[in-house]
Amino acid sequence: MKRKRNIHELNDSRASSITKGIISGVLILYSFIAIYLIGLSFLNAFKTRSDLINNTMGWPHKFVFENFRVVLIEDNFIRNLVNSLVLVGLSLVLLIIVSSSLAYGIAMFEFRGKSFLQTYFLVGLMFPIQLGILPLFVIMTRLHLNNSLLGLSLIYAANLSFSFTVFSKFFHSFPKALLEAARIDGASELDIFMRIVLPVTRPVIFTVALLNFVMIWNDFYMPLVFLTKSTLKTLTLGIYTYTADFLANWNKVFAGVTIALLPIIVIYFFFSDRITAGLTSGSVKE
Amino acid sequence: MKKNRAYLGFITPGFILYTLFMIIPIIFAMYYSFFEWNGIGPMKFVGFANFQKLLGGGRMSRIFFNALGNNIKYLICVLLIITPLQIFFAYILFIRIRGHRYIQFMLFLPYVISTSIVGFFALMVFHPNIGLLNSILEKLGFSKSAWLGNPDLSFKLFVIVVIWACIGNGMMIFNANMKEIDESILEASIIDGCNEHQKFFYVVFPQLQSSISTVITLSTIYALTMFDIPFMLGGVQGGVNNSIDFVNMVFYRYAFGGTYFGETSLGFGSSISVTMFIIILVISLITRIILRKREMRF
Repeated sequence: MKRKRNIHELNDSRASSITKGIISGVLILYSFIAIYLIGLSFLNAFKTRSDLINNTMGWPHKFVFENFRVVLIEDNFIRNLVNSLVLVGLSLVLLIIVSSSLAYGIAMFEFRGKSFLQTYFLVGLMFPIQLGILPLFVIMTRLHLNNSLLGLSLIYAANLSFSFTVFSKFFHSFPKALLEAARIDGASELDIFMRIVLPVTRPVIFTVALLNFVMIWNDFYMPLVFLTKSTLKTLTLGIYTYTADFLANWNKVFAGVTIALLPIIVIYFFFSDRITAGLTSGSVKE
Repeated sequence: MKKNRAYLGFITPGFILYTLFMIIPIIFAMYYSFFEWNGIGPMKFVGFANFQKLLGGGRMSRIFFNALGNNIKYLICVLLIITPLQIFFAYILFIRIRGHRYIQFMLFLPYVISTSIVGFFALMVFHPNIGLLNSILEKLGFSKSAWLGNPDLSFKLFVIVVIWACIGNGMMIFNANMKEIDESILEASIIDGCNEHQKFFYVVFPQLQSSISTVITLSTIYALTMFDIPFMLGGVQGGVNNSIDFVNMVFYRYAFGGTYFGETSLGFGSSISVTMFIIILVISLITRIILRKREMRF
């Protein structure tokens, strides 16, 4: 198959195509920084302690799983891993239920105050949650939701402005006649939402879940504030504990980083286009 | 049309969660900022005393203004370096430079890496004893550098780390905006013999208004709430001589780390939040007026 012609190369003078070549070469070199850092972390995770000291930057002489055993079992990283998984899972379920039905309720029904609510739910994009974190901390303490994975996942679900925007955009172009027809056939509102709307919303749900998975899995600040009990710490906090005392944990930190980074790299490898498209879909005009 | 109240069922859960955990806290931060309160005992109304302490020139005020200065220094870097770089990268991806799919994949990649791991990578590179840069310097026979431990260097290194880690999002927003430009205009400009500079400055750039406004607003919010990366690079005190201290870190030390100052004051902490709230509001209003946008397009 013939490669699609790039119209941007049409008027390229010799000099300009050389410049483009140089730019692309420089950026390819630049990309090796990421490959090197990620690759070296993965490799170092499998080195023995002495191998790591003598041969920090090279290929392991022998692949061992000792570091993973120490990190997961002795330092109880498996706990952090489970905490991260539970936190992300709970948050995604709550966030998707709440934000999809919210966007649906506002997009599909006519009522007074509709346009106010549309703006109201966008305030969260302008003012980050950090600004209200002290009163939020007080509220969470009063509700006995501090130091609780469920409590923090409620906060993530409440931080719904972005997901709300993505769902709203989708429902905006949803054929309303379909809903009317179902209503005439006597379907209940909940039935319509669950049986007719949600199934076709699946790709959007997937995108929202993907973006929020990355965001929550990687989040550092909220767990730092709301999960202070050592049994509740997430992977990012675990890694921070290692890096805060870098030299003492030198041999363990690579295994910890590998455990936290691998799921994200795999997801990004398969879905990078959907992640970038999803992120921009919430921020560029229709 | 028949009155249909079913919308209430769909809206209520989101409304309650969002109001309770997002909106009420921001309003209460304003309320708390007028009180002296350690979180447990009685609240004492003190008027503007917290703001006086924060802005009036005392010891706390010096710490705050040093940090705010860093936020603003970073914001200037955003406007002068980071945003132009993002537009540049977006454009070279847009014109499908050789290897553009791979380049896009790799430039965006660090954006999905947790800040705690970005911080770890920075240590791998800049650590004074076992960092990659110092071992290279040593092998080449140069003397080692303290890198992040050097207050004259740490801010620059911090900006480099942020560029590496965070450039992807804005870049993709610009890129998406460029893809929306009417292809026939672009083709016409190419057939008329525009070169790359002309095409960029006369055809593409003037159509980027909405994404410039979006990215600058997002980056401003990010710049003013900067926390994770300086926390990783310089610890909770913001590096040597507070060279990478930021307002959000001052806030964190005061609000949640009673051990650093020997006291916890929710009132004073809230006055920091409220000040940041106002600064974000003012800066985004200015951005909007400058870019003459009637509505934010999120």
